[in-house]
Amino acid sequence: MSKPSDLVQGTLDLLILKLLALEPLHGWAISRRLKIVSQDVLQVSEGSLYPALHKLEQEGWITAEWKQTENNRRAKFYSLTRLGRKQLELESASWQLLSSAITRVVRLSEA
Amino acid sequence: MRPEHWWYTVPLRLRSLLRLGQVGRELDEEMQFHVDKLIEEGIASGLSPQDARNAALRTMGGLSQEKEKVRDLLGTRWLTDFLDDIRYAARSLARAPGLSFFVILTLALGIAMTAAPLSMVDALVFRPYPVPHPERIVNLTSTSPYGSFEPFSYPEYLDIVARAKSYSGVIASGDYIPMGYSVRSGETARVRGGMLVSGNYFSALEVAPQLGRAFRPEEDEVPGRDPVVVLGRDFWKQELASDPTIVGRTIRLNGTVFTVIGVAPESFPGMSVFIRPDFYVPFAMARLFSTQPEKDFFHDRDARGLLVRARLKPGATLAEARNELAAIANDFEREHPQFNRNRGGMVRNQVQTRTRGDDPNWKFGVVFLLLAITVLTVACTNAASLLLSRAGTRTREIAVRLALGAGRSRLVRMLLAESLLLALMGGVAGVIAGFALIRVIARFGIPTTLPVHVPFQMDLRILTVCAALSVASAIVFGLAPALQSTRVEVIEGLKAGEVELPGRKRFWGRNVLVAGQVAASLMMLTAGLVVMRGFHHGLVEGVDFAKTAKDHVLVATFDPRLLQYDAARTERFYEELIDRVRQTPGVVSAGLTQNPPLGLEAFESLAYVPEGAAMSSERETYDVAMDTVDGGYFDAMGIPIARGRAIQATDTRDTPRVAVVNEAFAAHHWPGADALGKRFHLGKRGGPLVEIVGITPTLRYRSPYEKPMEFVYLALSQRPVAHLALLMRSNGNPLTLIEPLKGIVRSIDPDLPIVNVRSYGVLYRYNVVEGPGIAVRLSMTMGAMALFLAVAGLYGLISYNVSRRTREIGIRMALGADRPDVIRLVLGKGLLLVTVGGAIGLALGFGVEQLMNAAIFNIGGVDLLVYAIVVPTMLLVTMLATWVPALRASRIEPTRALRWE
Repeated sequence: MSKPSDLVQGTLDLLILKLLALEPLHGWAISRRLKIVSQDVLQVSEGSLYPALHKLEQEGWITAEWKQTENNRRAKFYSLTRLGRKQLELESASWQLLSSAITRVVRLSEA
Repeated sequence: MRPEHWWYTVPLRLRSLLRLGQVGRELDEEMQFHVDKLIEEGIASGLSPQDARNAALRTMGGLSQEKEKVRDLLGTRWLTDFLDDIRYAARSLARAPGLSFFVILTLALGIAMTAAPLSMVDALVFRPYPVPHPERIVNLTSTSPYGSFEPFSYPEYLDIVARAKSYSGVIASGDYIPMGYSVRSGETARVRGGMLVSGNYFSALEVAPQLGRAFRPEEDEVPGRDPVVVLGRDFWKQELASDPTIVGRTIRLNGTVFTVIGVAPESFPGMSVFIRPDFYVPFAMARLFSTQPEKDFFHDRDARGLLVRARLKPGATLAEARNELAAIANDFEREHPQFNRNRGGMVRNQVQTRTRGDDPNWKFGVVFLLLAITVLTVACTNAASLLLSRAGTRTREIAVRLALGAGRSRLVRMLLAESLLLALMGGVAGVIAGFALIRVIARFGIPTTLPVHVPFQMDLRILTVCAALSVASAIVFGLAPALQSTRVEVIEGLKAGEVELPGRKRFWGRNVLVAGQVAASLMMLTAGLVVMRGFHHGLVEGVDFAKTAKDHVLVATFDPRLLQYDAARTERFYEELIDRVRQTPGVVSAGLTQNPPLGLEAFESLAYVPEGAAMSSERETYDVAMDTVDGGYFDAMGIPIARGRAIQATDTRDTPRVAVVNEAFAAHHWPGADALGKRFHLGKRGGPLVEIVGITPTLRYRSPYEKPMEFVYLALSQRPVAHLALLMRSNGNPLTLIEPLKGIVRSIDPDLPIVNVRSYGVLYRYNVVEGPGIAVRLSMTMGAMALFLAVAGLYGLISYNVSRRTREIGIRMALGADRPDVIRLVLGKGLLLVTVGGAIGLALGFGVEQLMNAAIFNIGGVDLLVYAIVVPTMLLVTMLATWVPALRASRIEPTRALRWE
């Protein structure tokens, strides 16, 4: 099976929010974390990641802060806001709904 | 959106806007970090540093594109675009410095000319009272049987206070009156302006003194018991050097010791824009300042002199207040029919009060404002037509931009940014010029006894309106050219330097602009000349007496009431004064008057009934303006006696009462008969009879451009008055009489102040030269400017036309047209525009003339001379503006013209 080249529309936000819910991360770490956690299935291009981050910031769901990394470089760390946490719950719930619905449909066709 | 959302996003947006540079740098840094990480990863997986770098950059897909994407998300695109537009606009305007300069100049003139009358109208009409919630303050007036608004009397005021329910406070104030001020007794009193007010004046206005306290209610209860005074802000600062210990100390007013209880706050210069009272004294002290001994301030219901204001209760409306006062006025009429027959009551808000029908000042302001806005409109149309003519030459540039994919709205925005920049520069220059202009107007001194404050100022209110006007003008003059120049066929535009659009539609707009300018400037010129002629008209008749008086007469005013002289002592003082003055070398004649004609004080009004006249039932008496004079007055003032005799020294208290009247008065009551020897009753029928012994020509009394008015002189010996002006006529400079006069007064009573001394020429200049002079200069300047703008617009249009039609003219000449043909061709167009614009302008000018004559100058008819001057001037100047380009067109070389691109 080929890797899904593009993420399902709208799921990138959810993934970012979820990752940031665990701990504050910078852009690079997000992209790596995503790759590792999804075992290379989910790869987000830099061209989508940064605009998505800034969009979430403008929405007030995440907030950014400049901090030192482990090897002493300045990087922009994003973390979840209270609003973002609510949004995450909202989006996870709707994702659950959507994915279980899709799963049901897919199973139906197998049977 | 939830408020919490804004909590996060508003600071972000603000940061993006305000710290654009830093946001951009952070973006760079964030991207760079990512790239570095990619490179590290590449090296770790075994690539050479160079390859790792290239791979990383490839992955990032071109850094700058990424950044642009993010930037779009920041929501600052419109701002960066706008800044780009402004930068570009500045460059593009600098490329056409002449045009830019002219547009800026035009707008600056327009804005400056608007700022000045704007400040006038604001001061006279709109500036709110300097109190909290000024919009709740209303004015209560009595309405006379003849429909004019009049003050209330003190008893009426008390009744209104007791009966009215719509207000949280009803206050009253008297006239701005002279008060003799001194610090201790024995010191010569100086005349300052003060005001009698009700005890609740400050509390109801919600004005808290900056020092001390306001009046207590009981301080305005018992006549004469509580001599307390609240000082005016300016008096405290200037006269007392802001002395913080003044509260509790005493000053003397009209010889009585007053305790200073407070100082009005910095925010409260007074309720009238024109005056800044030095003293506020409670009504209970009114007797001390009374100038009408025959009237009892506290009890006479018809001693109407109080300005009554009130603060509407929360929830109460103006309409309710009106109904209530009307009902109260009805009660007055029923309870006191002898004083209040056919009198009503009216409640008006600030603007309604200040736009009184009988006050020419604000009308002047409004007329000037309208004229100024016309100038501004002309300026805008002119700027628009200049930009339009430029737009033509920019066709290729616009076409290139369109071809490269610029949106039309984006281009319109770009062009509007240019006009905005122009308008802002024009606005700034205009505000500076307007500021200077207002300063000049505000310096205009009015030679009154008590200082009058000229309230015109450039303040934040005016500044805001000017800024708004600038932006509005930018849109007005920028939008049309912007829309038109972006409506370009790309292919055509790229091919040709100049695009000839099909049809004539395109130039229609510009023709309308030019015709409109011609019309507007013609109207303005007419208005200017009508103002000039109106004043001139006022001067040719009725002011003959002033021609010699202005160079030779000294006017000195006295008011012995300031030293509490009684009637007999006052009379003795004036007798001795005039005797001594007449014996002074250099004095040709001397006389006494209450107020010389074209003086600064109001004439008293005399109620009378002609002997044997049948009065109608609703009218008991006639009223006429009057003056009280002595025997020397007519000679000293230079007023001729047409028939009969002047008042003489032989007219005394014991001889029959005599009067001198003017021709207007005589003609009113005894048309076609001789008024000499006729008599009238003073006051009502049955009052003392006065015989008319002399008749003077009808002069100008209040202002040089008034309607002919009726006037009566009574004899001073038969009607003693305390406040008088001494007239001294010399053969030479009247000011040389001042020293001898001071000596005489000192020898009679060293304590008595001369309230005021000046030459009659000062009054004359104020009334006849300076006041009208400002109006004439202002309106003529505006007219000239409008004409200048119209000519520039016309010239611009025709020259532009000629340059555009060069090839066509060349062909015509090659085909045999000669130079006169070409000149006719070009002139025809200009003349058509001038004719159409001129016709409209004449109609408008005629309207303005009628309006101004009716509202200001009180003369009817059409002043043909105005049009005899305006129309040919207009034609000549506009001809010239078209002639020059026409001549240039006729010099076109056909061979060159055909190769013209």
